[in-house]
Amino acid sequence: MVEQMISIDTQAINTDARDLSNLAPAETALEIRNLDLKYGDKQALFDVSMLIPKNQVTAFIGPSGCGKSTLLRCINRMNDLVDHCHITGEILLQGQNIYDKSVDVAALRRNVGMVFQRPNPFPKSIYENVVYGLRLQGINDRRKLDEACERSLRGAAIWDEVKDRLHDNAFGLSGGQQQRLVIARAIAIEPEVLLLDEPTSALDPISTLTIEELISELKAKYTVVIVTHNMQQAARVSDQTAFMYMGELVEYADTNTIFTTPKERRTEDYITGRYG
Amino acid sequence: MENMNLNKHISGQFSAELEDIRNRVLAMGGLVERQLEQALDALGSLDAELAQKVIEGDHKVNGMEVAIDEECTRIIAKRQPAASDLRLIIAITKTIADLERIGDSCVRIAKAAVEKRANNQRPLLVSIENMGRHATRTLHNTLDTLARMDAEAAFELHKQDAVLDKEYEGIIRQLMTYMMEDPRSIPEVLDVLWAARAVERVGDRCKNICEYVIYYVKGKDVRHTSYEDMEKDIRD
Repeated sequence: MVEQMISIDTQAINTDARDLSNLAPAETALEIRNLDLKYGDKQALFDVSMLIPKNQVTAFIGPSGCGKSTLLRCINRMNDLVDHCHITGEILLQGQNIYDKSVDVAALRRNVGMVFQRPNPFPKSIYENVVYGLRLQGINDRRKLDEACERSLRGAAIWDEVKDRLHDNAFGLSGGQQQRLVIARAIAIEPEVLLLDEPTSALDPISTLTIEELISELKAKYTVVIVTHNMQQAARVSDQTAFMYMGELVEYADTNTIFTTPKERRTEDYITGRYG
Repeated sequence: MENMNLNKHISGQFSAELEDIRNRVLAMGGLVERQLEQALDALGSLDAELAQKVIEGDHKVNGMEVAIDEECTRIIAKRQPAASDLRLIIAITKTIADLERIGDSCVRIAKAAVEKRANNQRPLLVSIENMGRHATRTLHNTLDTLARMDAEAAFELHKQDAVLDKEYEGIIRQLMTYMMEDPRSIPEVLDVLWAARAVERVGDRCKNICEYVIYYVKGKDVRHTSYEDMEKDIRD
């Protein structure tokens, strides 16, 4: 019995640290290959390569201007909207390069949802906010929309708070509720990947904890990539952490390693508050 | 000191707190070192007064352990240390526990000195003297390693504990012959044996502290590993 317990114990330790440089294709949600990005003459990302595992939370951390949001935005081609932005390299989603000419950007963004720093609900009812993406896809069947609305709001851990006022204006919700509503809107169209760009930086500590709790639940269904300025948040919610500095991916490893025994001095200095 | 970069935090207050706690651990180490020296002196010269001083001094060691522990808890709660800062705090909480236990060993040795005075067991105690000197030196070097946070030195010291263990075995063998020669001496010999045991434990505690130094510097937990693996971790 004791031996059995010991063997279970070591197993738990072993599964903890996965080799991020060598993930099986079935475990990989995204593969970034030699990504360079320039805004005009200024290079913002330098040869970034990484594998992002499926159904896990991956956090990007680093000081302001290090390129973490830029990298996040590359994953659903938000940078296409920026003038003079030039990207080389590849990002593979389900084995296909999303920067390939044949890729339909609207379809890509259905697969890769995004939530921003400030909650940005539409000036519509809670219900209409959630089903907005579905209506865009031409789905107008009332029953389908009702189902999707409830499923998404439950998924975003806000159903109990809004179920009796689905047709009230979304602006009447608190900041934390609005952010969860926006997450519900993002998951209503059932994306593969969910990108969160500092999703709690405009929220109070309690709402922040609710969102963090939600992120841990979301990874059962989606691959979550989060950019955060709050290192403790990265430590709490993510399975692996990437530290970026001046456009470079300095260190990428499982979160436990990054926060206890980082390999790189620059990572160590940043997470212990010695940067600068 | 190249392994310690406590002073470069953006928060100067945090740096000051870590520096302060480190100094307090070293002060506690100094106190324990003096306790051990005096306990062994008391045993060597059967000085009951000095032994009593050591026994009474132990509450200071205990008090320091509690105070440093509280400070560590406060730092964890308020600063959420990470990486090397976190390892420093963890290494410190473990180190002070071992220092406190070394303090207890000193009390045990001092108590033997008080009792031996009545029985006058001087010939038996000579055997411990040598081992005692060895243990004092080990503790001194361990504290030095701790102050410098030198993983290489910690590894070398760790290996040297085997010498102390050998000496202890030798003493046991010697004491056993006494017991076999004259069974009436068993109670007195046992008292000496407990004192020798206390000295030997000091070496084991020092070994633990060396492991915490390696943990802090290298981020590797080398407890319960072979010397080959340990060496690999250190040279990494």
